[in-house]
Amino acid sequence: MTGSRLLRSLLRIGAMAGKEAIHVRRDPRTLGLALVMPVVMLFLFGYGVSSDLDHIPLVFADQDQSEASRALARAFDGSGEFTVVGRPAPEGVEALFRGGVAVAALVVPRGYQRDLLLGKRAEVQLMLDGADPVVGNQVLAKADAIARVESQRLAGAAFARLQPPLQVKVWTRYNPEGRSALYMVPGLSAFLLAITAVMLTALAIAGEWERGSMEQLFASPVGRLEIVLGKLLPYLVLGLLELLLVVAFGALVFDVPIRGSLPLIMLFGLVFMAGMLGQGLFISVVAKNQLVATQAGALSAMLPAIILSGMIFPIENMPLPLRTISRLIPSRYLVHGLRGILLKGNGLDVLWPDLLAMALFAVAILGLATARFKRRVA
Amino acid sequence: MQERSSSAAGQPAIVARDLRRRFGAVQALDGLGFTVARGELYGLVGPDGAGKTTAIRALAGLIDLDGGEARILGLDPARDGAVRERLGLMPQQYSLYRDLTVGENLRFFGRLATLPAARYRERAARLLALTRLAPFVDRRADQLSGGMYKKLALSCALLTEPEVLLLDEPTNGVDPVSRRELWALLHEFVDGGMAVVISTPYMDEAERCHRVGLVHHGRLLLEGPPGRLLADFERAGHARPTFEELFIDSIGRAA
Repeated sequence: MTGSRLLRSLLRIGAMAGKEAIHVRRDPRTLGLALVMPVVMLFLFGYGVSSDLDHIPLVFADQDQSEASRALARAFDGSGEFTVVGRPAPEGVEALFRGGVAVAALVVPRGYQRDLLLGKRAEVQLMLDGADPVVGNQVLAKADAIARVESQRLAGAAFARLQPPLQVKVWTRYNPEGRSALYMVPGLSAFLLAITAVMLTALAIAGEWERGSMEQLFASPVGRLEIVLGKLLPYLVLGLLELLLVVAFGALVFDVPIRGSLPLIMLFGLVFMAGMLGQGLFISVVAKNQLVATQAGALSAMLPAIILSGMIFPIENMPLPLRTISRLIPSRYLVHGLRGILLKGNGLDVLWPDLLAMALFAVAILGLATARFKRRVA
Repeated sequence: MQERSSSAAGQPAIVARDLRRRFGAVQALDGLGFTVARGELYGLVGPDGAGKTTAIRALAGLIDLDGGEARILGLDPARDGAVRERLGLMPQQYSLYRDLTVGENLRFFGRLATLPAARYRERAARLLALTRLAPFVDRRADQLSGGMYKKLALSCALLTEPEVLLLDEPTNGVDPVSRRELWALLHEFVDGGMAVVISTPYMDEAERCHRVGLVHHGRLLLEGPPGRLLADFERAGHARPTFEELFIDSIGRAA
């Protein structure tokens, strides 16, 4: 391409991008989707969809009615982890479980205080609602911890001698508090970028078909690739702004660390966005209709980003077919990459395979979409 | 209207030869052929579904043909991108950006054509004056009347001063005053040497063209200068005939 042709091509891409920027500026839905949705979603996922449980509703069936059993109840209630929501008789516990009033029940048998005073092992029974295994596991762990503390208090100095000789300490790195936000923000970035890029591109290009302007564009000197690049550029910028917003918001509101390089985060976002924009372009080229493009865009961007990216469900736990499919999902690589950069401070030396996988997807889908994007109206 | 012959001006600017295109069960183009010279205004006249839009799209290189060939200034519009530098199109449907103003739409198409700023300003000012859209330059396209919108679309197509202009039913839904203005604008450019094909379902508009082709079921039923076609029809025994009568008679004979 000669210098003059390249310059004219760049001018046309600029014209397309400028026109698209006006559409974005004048359409509050687009800006809302791109800039307000991330903040709302971050709040929802950061606070609402937290997997950190506290104030777990617990019923306390006290058959002993002693000072020791009341102390045990206070230990649970005062921990902040549990809230005693009822004190039924043991036979009433079942009904409270079924009604969803409580997810745990602590049953203290008769003779609890007596056994303690006699130095015998005093047993209490913890009943769990196991319908949600995540909740069940957390309840078990928290109840166990409170029981240990209570045992220590009761045994006093003697407790030290009862310790087993081998003590296993669990040391959780990167997210020792197990805070959901740290886990969720990188995942949410992938989800938001995917949905914004695919939906906006699908809508923008399908809109050209629907309003008939594509016919006019095709008859003008602007080339196919120029149309594609000009239309995608503003959304690329918007997507990167969105990524910055999510990362900044995550850091400020949820104390998500940024241990790695910010430019590397942007590079990951850029390559991921290129693939997602290509996906949106492909959908709109095939659909040529905003309604169909919206539905196809939402399905193809949201479901894989939520289910197969590792954002919520660990990929390691998936059956082999799903694990294999997840390798084709760019969100998987962005989630892994962003967690690595943000939480562990990883660099390209560790994360290059993720970047390469996303780049391959981007090249393939943009190539496929541009090839399908024919200069024909029928 | 003064008759102009495509052969008189040398090589035709537009050639449609035996155009064929089928969409499912519908044969949209069934061997349509005509030529248009530089400085000639050619009317493709026919009812809805006659194949006019498909013919315009074929000339613009926007559809693949099953058979035949289209040439614009000697180039294949479906293959040779250079055609688009010299071609203007005004599609039938609303094809501008409704959330952009009159000025923004013009500027966008000027930038796509990479017109130098000074030339763009001069042409835009001239077109805005000719179409009397200058007072509405900051009005959004979706707030224009039907006639104003069509004038803006025509201005966008004329901005590059193309050698060939294809207009698909530009006067559809336009009031009589705006229609007259559009035709006057067209003739000004045609007089400057532009080759124009205009499709229209309105038989009365045929008389404004140098030559017309009456299209039905993707075929040309009749072609020639409107005055001569009407004179021939009158000589065949029809007193003071109209184009509508001529057209209906042609369809009847073709059937």
